[in-house]
Amino acid sequence: MPALTEARKKSLRREMEALLGPGAVLSDPDELMVYESDGLTLFRALADFVVFPLTAEHVAALVRLAQREGLPFVARGAGTGLSGGCLPAEGGLVISLMRMNRVLEVDYDNQLAVVEPGLVNLHLSWAVGARGFYYAPDPSSQQACTIGGNIANNSGGPHTLKYGVTTNHVLGLEVVLPDGEIVWLGGKTRDPQGYDLTGIFVGSEGTFGIATKIVLRILRQPQAVRTVLAVFNEIDQASEAVSAIIARGLIPAAMEMIDQLTIQAVEDAFGCGYPRDAAAALLIEMDGLAAGMDEQAARVIAACRETGAREVRLARDEAERQLLWKGRKSAFGAYGRISPAYLVMDGVIPRTRLPYVLRRVNEIVAGYGLRVGNVFHAGDGNLHPNILYDPRKPGEEQRVVAAGGEILKVCAEVGGSISGEHGIGLEKRDYMPLIFSEADLGCMARVKRAFNPTGLCNPGKIFPSRKGCAEAGFASRPHPIEEAGLAQRF
Amino acid sequence: MHSPLSRRLAEIVGGAHVLTGAECAPYVVEGRTPECAVFPGSREDIAAVLGVAADSGTPVMPWGGGTGMALGSPPAHPGLVLGLRRLGRLLEHEPGDLTATVEAGMTLEAFQAELSRRGQWLSLDPPQAARATLGGILASNASGPRRHLYGTARDLLIGITMVLADGAIVRGGGKVVKNVAGYDLPKLAVGSFGTLGVIVEATVKLRPRPDCDRLVVARFSTLAEAGQAARAVMASDLIPSALDVVDGEGLRALDGEGAPGGAALLVGVDGIAEQVEWQCEEVGRLLKDCGLAGVRVLDGTERDEAWRAVGEMPQRAFTDATAGMKWGVLPTQVAELIARAGAVASQRGLRAAFVAHAGLGIISAVLDAAGADAEQVACTLGEWRALVNGSGGHALVEWAPLAVKERIAVWDTPGPDSRIMRQLKAELDPRGILNPGRFLGGI
Amino acid sequence: MAHGTALEPPQGAGGPTARVPAPWEMGPLALHGHDVDGVNRCVHCGLCLASCPTFSLLGTEMDSPRGRIVLIKSLAEGRIELSDSTRAHLDLCLGCRACETVCPSGVPYGQLIEAARAEIERRHPGGPVRRLFRWLNFAVLLPHPRLLGLAATGLRCYQVSGLQRVLRASGLLRLLPGPLAAWEPLLPRLPPAAARAPLPEVTHAEGQRRARVGLLTGCIQQVAFGTQNRATARVLARNGAEVLAPRAQSCCGALHAHAGEDGLARDLARRTIEAFEAAGVDQVIANTSGCGAHMKSYGMLLASDPAWRARAARFAARVRDVSEFLCQEPLRGPLQPVARTVTYHDPCHVIHGQKIRKEPRALLAQIPGLRVVELSEADWCCGSAGTYNLTQPEMAQRLQERKIAHIRATGAEAVVTANPGCIIQIAQGLQATGAPTRVMHIVELLDEAYR
Repeated sequence: MPALTEARKKSLRREMEALLGPGAVLSDPDELMVYESDGLTLFRALADFVVFPLTAEHVAALVRLAQREGLPFVARGAGTGLSGGCLPAEGGLVISLMRMNRVLEVDYDNQLAVVEPGLVNLHLSWAVGARGFYYAPDPSSQQACTIGGNIANNSGGPHTLKYGVTTNHVLGLEVVLPDGEIVWLGGKTRDPQGYDLTGIFVGSEGTFGIATKIVLRILRQPQAVRTVLAVFNEIDQASEAVSAIIARGLIPAAMEMIDQLTIQAVEDAFGCGYPRDAAAALLIEMDGLAAGMDEQAARVIAACRETGAREVRLARDEAERQLLWKGRKSAFGAYGRISPAYLVMDGVIPRTRLPYVLRRVNEIVAGYGLRVGNVFHAGDGNLHPNILYDPRKPGEEQRVVAAGGEILKVCAEVGGSISGEHGIGLEKRDYMPLIFSEADLGCMARVKRAFNPTGLCNPGKIFPSRKGCAEAGFASRPHPIEEAGLAQRF
Repeated sequence: MHSPLSRRLAEIVGGAHVLTGAECAPYVVEGRTPECAVFPGSREDIAAVLGVAADSGTPVMPWGGGTGMALGSPPAHPGLVLGLRRLGRLLEHEPGDLTATVEAGMTLEAFQAELSRRGQWLSLDPPQAARATLGGILASNASGPRRHLYGTARDLLIGITMVLADGAIVRGGGKVVKNVAGYDLPKLAVGSFGTLGVIVEATVKLRPRPDCDRLVVARFSTLAEAGQAARAVMASDLIPSALDVVDGEGLRALDGEGAPGGAALLVGVDGIAEQVEWQCEEVGRLLKDCGLAGVRVLDGTERDEAWRAVGEMPQRAFTDATAGMKWGVLPTQVAELIARAGAVASQRGLRAAFVAHAGLGIISAVLDAAGADAEQVACTLGEWRALVNGSGGHALVEWAPLAVKERIAVWDTPGPDSRIMRQLKAELDPRGILNPGRFLGGI
Repeated sequence: MAHGTALEPPQGAGGPTARVPAPWEMGPLALHGHDVDGVNRCVHCGLCLASCPTFSLLGTEMDSPRGRIVLIKSLAEGRIELSDSTRAHLDLCLGCRACETVCPSGVPYGQLIEAARAEIERRHPGGPVRRLFRWLNFAVLLPHPRLLGLAATGLRCYQVSGLQRVLRASGLLRLLPGPLAAWEPLLPRLPPAAARAPLPEVTHAEGQRRARVGLLTGCIQQVAFGTQNRATARVLARNGAEVLAPRAQSCCGALHAHAGEDGLARDLARRTIEAFEAAGVDQVIANTSGCGAHMKSYGMLLASDPAWRARAARFAARVRDVSEFLCQEPLRGPLQPVARTVTYHDPCHVIHGQKIRKEPRALLAQIPGLRVVELSEADWCCGSAGTYNLTQPEMAQRLQERKIAHIRATGAEAVVTANPGCIIQIAQGLQATGAPTRVMHIVELLDEAYR
């Protein structure tokens, strides 16, 4: 796409300001620069404009304007994503939804809430907390990330082991389709007729349109919660404990593993009470009815002891529980204390393969002369190896990327996936052929075309680049996704 | 006898696996007999069959156990039935991962039996488990009472393999319980009634079988009380696995004519013994204030029989049962809508029975057509639909005689989002050979 | 940014940005000698965003901690110039440091924004009127208690003579330039001369002496809130502290550091250290949040001064907020019941600057008869933020209104807090809405319980 002329930019700016009001259009290069990355700084892309709509009608008008001008557009929430999914890969419009952040309606009797996309995830739980409710999906960035971003990425979190991910909690969406039409997908009632467009929209990484209202299930807060910290001298023992707990017929609410390097970073940051010399710790949470809770905890503790835990501790009170979770949820950021940068991977494996894969991860990273910290959703088999590096050292960034690629290959080999919750975005699109065939991707490209025929809605994401296709042996003839006008050529 | 079509199909799957003419009698849909019924033994054969169908422009009707074939608008052309019964194996079950991969033609009952040997189950309990296949359950988004806690197919399906109309064999999702790589094709497959592709394989999330599983049957003298009771349970600390309401006619169908009627609340509770016992007692305590007339706690085969009977109640409620609808409304509207719909039917001199997943707002409504003509039935169904649509809900005619279906649309009037649905259909099945004309909006 | 590996970052259509030296070509980052290498601790995770009051109200990332860090980093790397818009975004920062509390990477944000402010002052000193005004404030009044006292007398005359009432009624105030008109109503109503008189140099401990402490009587605090200083001294004495108020002390320099007057800030830090060293105290107590947090950072402030580095660090380690000191032991009785419902507002530089959350609540819990209700967003800035309510009146007012709404929702009879700036801001906001709620410093409430 040719760059916009200055004159064109000026007139577009005027047009959008007339639509949105003053202070809602950014085009100053220094201001745009602040929006060049999300939570993953490996990628940068500059928008031509960042705009701040207040209503679905604003969003629709912006989308129609973008289509008219042939400008790419992409929605952005808090920018805490970890795959470059909200970056304007080909320039154009970044539509920030941060000013659409209200809770519009809460229906406690029917246990649902209607919210705007810019609402911070945790703020929904705060809003309904006084009445004894909460919103279950709890990504580690929940204090900052938005519901709209959660919809795009189908975000998970520690408690998805028992409660499922975002898609399991979304009943309906008002969306602005890529051509600017505002439609409802699903609604407040179950089993809407026709295809499950809500289901396919969630997790489509902003390529099917922009959600402007979201109907979510809210759950009653559980009567009782028990949080257990199990400490292991060997990482294999911790992995085995995960399977042992499942084998006892239990599905805890959350089962998180934290390795030594991470424990040390977290202890430096907040002093959360994890033993610094442990090889690994499991943070296991059960919730639900008060009745039988002690027995569940006893079963979990027994399983941990049998697999060799050197210490198993039940959080005494809510304060200790919160502190343990603070350590877990702040782990990514805490790497900032021991390393100037890190690349977080998001592979998923069958949980029975944990011991093997964790060993392989450590071998691979060590082979590149780098360090890795592991903090992840062990119960789901959703790994988060965090490869630490220093971008100020020449060549390290390239080695990190290469090591990350090898880790994803291992995940694919054991029957896993290359992303459990962060999304493909820009980061992992060239790894898609590891787990999907040309036909699989071709089918996805057709689905995309049904929603987004011009491809202007968040281009450059999910599907392999030309290089990725070539490496996968796809590009010897015109690729179906290329024919569909969806492959991005750089 | 042997058309060119059936000969070509026999070349692909072998003559023994192609039925024609009168042999096709079990595969009659809405009074129309298919040209032939073909039973491929592999996904590649399915791809080849679809190729043949596409070449000849023959509509294809994927067929699992046949339990849901009454659903949908009547097909314009019978076409061919593509039976999945030869793809009936459990491919993979790793208990430690709580996942299993299964071929589409395996029945739910056989699948559960396999899983149960390793202490696990698929937490999906639609009616007719002995005949219904996994593929059919997914395609029709069939569910049962335990969806209250455990969700529906969309919550349990993590990977899918489909054969598209052009013969492409495509996979979406994967084999791991958490996965956001690529679009969520499994969601698209669930409830698509075979219009986008033929489901050949599925990977699902499993659960450990609970230590203990009971059914609390609480009786009330009125439906309003039962509805109130359901809301009380929802607003309490209880975590039931099922929460169904059955109205008086429904109860008579279950208990036999002459039974007292009233209404019942069915509360499923499972988990470890202590939890289940506490919940059973708590239900009793909680419902005392709601006019509880009697309570029984069922376990073992008694429990299973009761759930089975409730699941099959719509088909069995009346000897001459004619039409069934499925409504989706807000949970708080359930009791009132049932009462109003019951009144609509009785004004027309028709009997109706209802069973609802009260915590979710899913209602099965069934009409007794004894002595009524198609017009009268269609009018009643139409009034019901207006009632439900007017409350912001949706109403689907699940089954009805052809004469009734000719007078009332099976599906609601499609909304603006159906444009995307039509585009999806056009992308994935551009020649419209998969179950054409049977779905929402004429898809 | 080019990666020769499998992943290639795409180029934005905005065009390639100016050639930036590769990260490994740069040394530690600094802005004119101010260390800002702390920007490299930021991993861009964004967890700070929702805790930032300005970002929450505006939704623009340039007005978020992460965005400001990007701006500061880019300034230090020479990637951008200090444009008017960059300046405006940095100026809009409250300096509340709420982001530091939630930052898992430990980015020293307060230090970074102060360095940026100093850079702005250097590059944009403003016109002669602004410079004169700042000079009067920062170089003349604040460091010289006697001059400040004289000015206070003048202000008191203006307020009690009726001139203020006349001027306010006349509407002439609206003719004042720029933000000055907004300043006027925020001027605290000064107490009579007796309350503005300096504290006695020594207040003797009651009962068994547990410590010899120095009290920072402060600059503005001394003239505007002398009663709080007196209450502080009484409460400390009741709890076994011998309280010294050295005459040689002046302003601690916090306002200077926050306003980018770093040279003066260092001078004042040295003077403060000298004054309390000479007094020979075990601990130095502050009852104003900004001063306490600032004195605790003297070690960092004077780190590049070899002659003072160690002294400053030693001094900083002895600084305590008054709540922190009182909480070291249970309050000495007897405390009289105070039958009142109160709520507690956390001053930013107490909760975020000094990480003191539990202590004031623990003290309140020891007052018999007192009912304490939680304030939602208690740890959010009230908009006072040092001189912020003077320089950014519009944003300050939005935050004030938000704070007042939360306070009114509690139904409390009084708001207890621990910083004079917050007290002025909240009291003014309550007054504007006609709410009868009182605002008190926590030491005043404790003092009342000791009556």
